[in-house]
Amino acid sequence: MRGLHVYVLLAAAVVSLVYAHLLNSYWMHVAIIAMFYGILTASWSLLAGYGGLFSLGHMAFASVGGYTSALLVQWYGIPIPLGMAAGIALCCTLGGLIGWVCLRMSGPYLAIFTLAFSEIVRITFSTEDQVTAGMAGLHTAPLFQSASRLPYFYTAFGLLAGSLAIIGFIVHSRWGLFLRAIREDEQAAGASGVAVARFRILAFAVASGFAGLAGGFYAHYIGVMTPSVGSLDLMALVVVMTVIGGMERIPTAVGGAFGVELLQEFLRAYGQWRLVIFGLVLLLTMRFARNGLLTPLWLQFLRVSDSARIPRSPRPTREAGREGSGG
Amino acid sequence: MSRNGPLVDGVQLCKHFGGIAANDGVDFAVADGDLIGLIGPNGSGKTTLINLLTGHLTPESGEVFLRGKRVTARPPHEFAALGVARTFQLTQLFGRMTVLENMLVPGLTRPRSTWAAVTARARTYLEFLNLAPVQHLDAKNLSGGQQKLLELGRALMLEPSVLFLDEPFAGVHPQLRGELITRIQELHHSGRTFVVVDHDMESILRVAQRLVVMARGQKIADGLPAAVRADQTVLAAYSGL
Repeated sequence: MRGLHVYVLLAAAVVSLVYAHLLNSYWMHVAIIAMFYGILTASWSLLAGYGGLFSLGHMAFASVGGYTSALLVQWYGIPIPLGMAAGIALCCTLGGLIGWVCLRMSGPYLAIFTLAFSEIVRITFSTEDQVTAGMAGLHTAPLFQSASRLPYFYTAFGLLAGSLAIIGFIVHSRWGLFLRAIREDEQAAGASGVAVARFRILAFAVASGFAGLAGGFYAHYIGVMTPSVGSLDLMALVVVMTVIGGMERIPTAVGGAFGVELLQEFLRAYGQWRLVIFGLVLLLTMRFARNGLLTPLWLQFLRVSDSARIPRSPRPTREAGREGSGG
Repeated sequence: MSRNGPLVDGVQLCKHFGGIAANDGVDFAVADGDLIGLIGPNGSGKTTLINLLTGHLTPESGEVFLRGKRVTARPPHEFAALGVARTFQLTQLFGRMTVLENMLVPGLTRPRSTWAAVTARARTYLEFLNLAPVQHLDAKNLSGGQQKLLELGRALMLEPSVLFLDEPFAGVHPQLRGELITRIQELHHSGRTFVVVDHDMESILRVAQRLVVMARGQKIADGLPAAVRADQTVLAAYSGL
């Protein structure tokens, strides 16, 4: 039996599903894109927040997932879900491989390595225009033959919910505990019996798989794939979203995606100045609220909802070791 | 009781760092039930030896055996799985995880372990180490001495056959040092094997049943504490002669 906060979130989810049709097309698009980023920030949080693996190749994996699915559907006429699954599988494999290559790297070395990987992927997609249509953009098959965005909304919602369920399960399992131990001290984790290499590779493979899923959905939603999906601009946006929300908890990372995406729309009138504003918010977050702006709110929400359920007494055994990992 | 030879057996271990022989053909055997004090001046190769015997370093030559099984160059987690636990010279905890979570990590790496059983066992050890009242604090918030105790507790969670403690008394308040020594002795009496590295001769002599002395990357003495203390080579190494 989980805390009351789970039921509060489920209720909110049901309400948003029931009333989704009231959103106009524009705001529905914003919500869909926010959910796309939600999958990316949650999985990047697993990698960077839990595992301490500060990878800058996450959007590159999203573009690999998108192109793989789009091209397979175009070439072989396979069903789109199968194409997306192939994209996920390729991203998992490639992610695991990158994780294996980067085994001894951390901090800035890992960031620079994955940055280079990301640029290689982007330039390859850009240059190989006979296959990928390069900067002109690869037209992709739409997921639904529908004029309304509502089916996409439900799909994005389902994918985000599924991703959160799986990532949430991972971070609350012993795997999540081991990942955090590796983040805190790799040597001590090894001495404590944690197979450090295996879990680092696993974290990369799983997180990359989710990036591939997000990329695949994006490709078949937007209708066109361009190499800029894997650009550093978008990677920076994912980092900004996750860090501003709070990278060490999945709900805050997803909250960051929603918050920043909404802000992007509200501040659209300011054009490129929006990015300056986000930069400033990021600076202030790093200086004054390193755990993210949403973390205190989330912790307060957990406290309030849990105190409504049980009096402040010793925690149940199974929960005891898991506090601190958040929701 | 040894099965297929000593519990831990390091044979002719060699390791160099930038041309300096940190370990130069060191033989080091640990039998079941030993409580060995490993001493030596700074830079004599004690920590390197522990790192070699726990998989944190790979020897350039020489072999490591655990109960007769060759484990040279295996990763640290495999040593842990085979019952070798250790602590570090500078305490290495999972700082932003709670005291209890620190204890759960090694417990949950064991096959077929369950959260409930591991949590119960962790709580028992935390009681034993007087850390139960702080179990929900982040490990980084503990005092230096408590951190040493927690590191010992975390090592115990592996239910190891042998524990290598690297300078467990360094920087610990004398009162807490006494407590640490008592805990080590109690654990030893309950059947655990220890190798304790330290500079603090007084503390080491209070616990050790066998003393091994290192100097300049070599083992220069190995035997009963009284005999080793009287050894002229040891005195020379310690007084820098």
